[in-house]
Amino acid sequence: MKTTYRVLALIIAAVVAIQAAAIGYAVFAQLHWIENGGTLDKATLESSAPGTSALFFHALEGYAVFLVALALLIVSFFAKIPHGVRWAVIVLVCAFVQIALGALSRMLAPIGAVHGAVALVLFGVAVTAAMRVHKPAAVEEPTPAQVA
Amino acid sequence: MAPRLSKRGRLVVALIATVAILAPLAWLWQSSLVAKSYSVMEMGYLDYGGGPAGGHDHEAGARSVADITVNTTRKADLRVDLVAAQQNLIIGGKSVPGYTLNGTSPGPTITAREGQLVEVHLRNASVKAGVTLHWHGYDVPAAMDGVAGVTQDEVPIGGEFTYRFVANQIGTYWYHSHQVSNPQVIGGLFGTLVVLPKAGRGDPVDVVAAAHSYAGMKTINGEVGDLKVPAKPGQQVRVRVINTDNGPIETWADTPFRVLAIDGFPVNGPTEVTDRSVTVTAGGRADLGVTVPSDGKAVRVQISKGTAVVIGAGDPVAPPQPAAALDLLSYGRPTALPFDPATANRHFDYSIGHRPGFVRGAPGLWWSINGHLYPHVPMYVVREGDVVIMHIDNHSGELHPMHLHGHHAVVLARNGVAATGSPWWMDSVNVLEGETYDIAFVANNPGIWLDHCHHLKHAAQGMVAHLMYEGIDTPYRIGGAADNRPD
Repeated sequence: MKTTYRVLALIIAAVVAIQAAAIGYAVFAQLHWIENGGTLDKATLESSAPGTSALFFHALEGYAVFLVALALLIVSFFAKIPHGVRWAVIVLVCAFVQIALGALSRMLAPIGAVHGAVALVLFGVAVTAAMRVHKPAAVEEPTPAQVA
Repeated sequence: MAPRLSKRGRLVVALIATVAILAPLAWLWQSSLVAKSYSVMEMGYLDYGGGPAGGHDHEAGARSVADITVNTTRKADLRVDLVAAQQNLIIGGKSVPGYTLNGTSPGPTITAREGQLVEVHLRNASVKAGVTLHWHGYDVPAAMDGVAGVTQDEVPIGGEFTYRFVANQIGTYWYHSHQVSNPQVIGGLFGTLVVLPKAGRGDPVDVVAAAHSYAGMKTINGEVGDLKVPAKPGQQVRVRVINTDNGPIETWADTPFRVLAIDGFPVNGPTEVTDRSVTVTAGGRADLGVTVPSDGKAVRVQISKGTAVVIGAGDPVAPPQPAAALDLLSYGRPTALPFDPATANRHFDYSIGHRPGFVRGAPGLWWSINGHLYPHVPMYVVREGDVVIMHIDNHSGELHPMHLHGHHAVVLARNGVAATGSPWWMDSVNVLEGETYDIAFVANNPGIWLDHCHHLKHAAQGMVAHLMYEGIDTPYRIGGAADNRPD
């Protein structure tokens, strides 16, 4: 279970990194498209112009982060990692906030800036959760030896 | 200090917490599943809009949508054969996967005269997923609406279907596949339909300009670049702009123009527009009227920034895009409507949201209609002759081009502000985030009609409701042996 917890936490961090890569690629692919004479409006955005599939992937993968974070929380119940549940909850809340910020950015663009910054927070808390696995277990109360 | 739990106690708490998380998710997932084959009559919930209830299920004596056709004994005045194929297209010198009708994309422009009986014979040569033809904006009899799984079965490879309807609406329309419509329309499986008045063309120069993006490349009538149209100085020109994309486009000109028609319906008393663009919503049409200057200079009608119709001799530079779009709510001169919206006896809400959940078993953020996700969406029930008002509001964070099949509605108000211009008849309306529209129509075309987002990816994601008439049933099913997939 400890290994599963660690792997899930690292998957979340990796997915956040891939998310950043996808959005970075999308922005520059579209810049290239425009600079080479292409037109980018809502119509072309929805018609496989370069970068649009990366944008779509970015949105789709956000939900995957939430599902993995949910799995992390469930695993944390059984993994007996010091503060493992606490960090799993932090990761899940971060993932939820991040998805909500992404959705709200569609209505108010400046929220997109917060969305970008919170991605780093999510990455950080996911890595921190993964590192909890190496922490020594909480000192257990000594169990009296059974005397036959 | 709280007492520590035993190992078993901890395990029990962990299991309870796990069940508390998974059980509601499992329930939501399970309830989102759809059968491999289902009728649209069985999905969602009935919404009577405050009108009389009843008479709406698979009851005995219900009339089949397949029987709602034009007079079968009347001979066609105009026959067209269309052969659908799946093949690569050459767009702007590049090969892109797509679809053709009679070997081209777009397919041929069908030009009919008002009152003619049009008969279109469709054959599927090679479209693997099957094909249908929907007459976008044309209020055809229900059996001819071309929606796979609702008004017909998809036409498989080697299969055929004949569409027959009377061309009783003049104007600019288009036709496209409504089987797996999301990839097929994007891939070019569409064509244009123009119905001229009995008296013939009103303008000496009449241009069809179907705007479409193939793999992101903007085209007019399938060609990248400008469409050159010969015209003489002083001639009146009608440019029929048809937006076949999934998002809105803007169109404007370097000379004053008039908006002659929207979605096929003439604008009453159109005035000259000089400093505005016209928004053509996805699936929508706008007929622009321009006059070639007497000095012989060419006119440039820009269709978004990437393409233009250049009328006359010369190659004028692209005019800058106006900062604002024309407000059709106040454009033109008001005139009496053929019905009184104040007598409406059905009032429906079409409230578009975006929320987490499951659709067809898949988790995600999905479009909701009145708070519900597909397939638990409303079925708007009407009776023939009803006057219907629909209140559309969009709080989903993204714009939606809403399209009602089989009817034309008039816009009464936007964001609570009443329309003051020409009656704004439409079949496709661009509802921006935060906007509301009040539209009205007469239920005068019995059948089962999709009322959906014409951003076809959104439709495929479940943004589809239905307008249903009492006493009408359908023998067709979504899925099943025919593999009908309308979106």
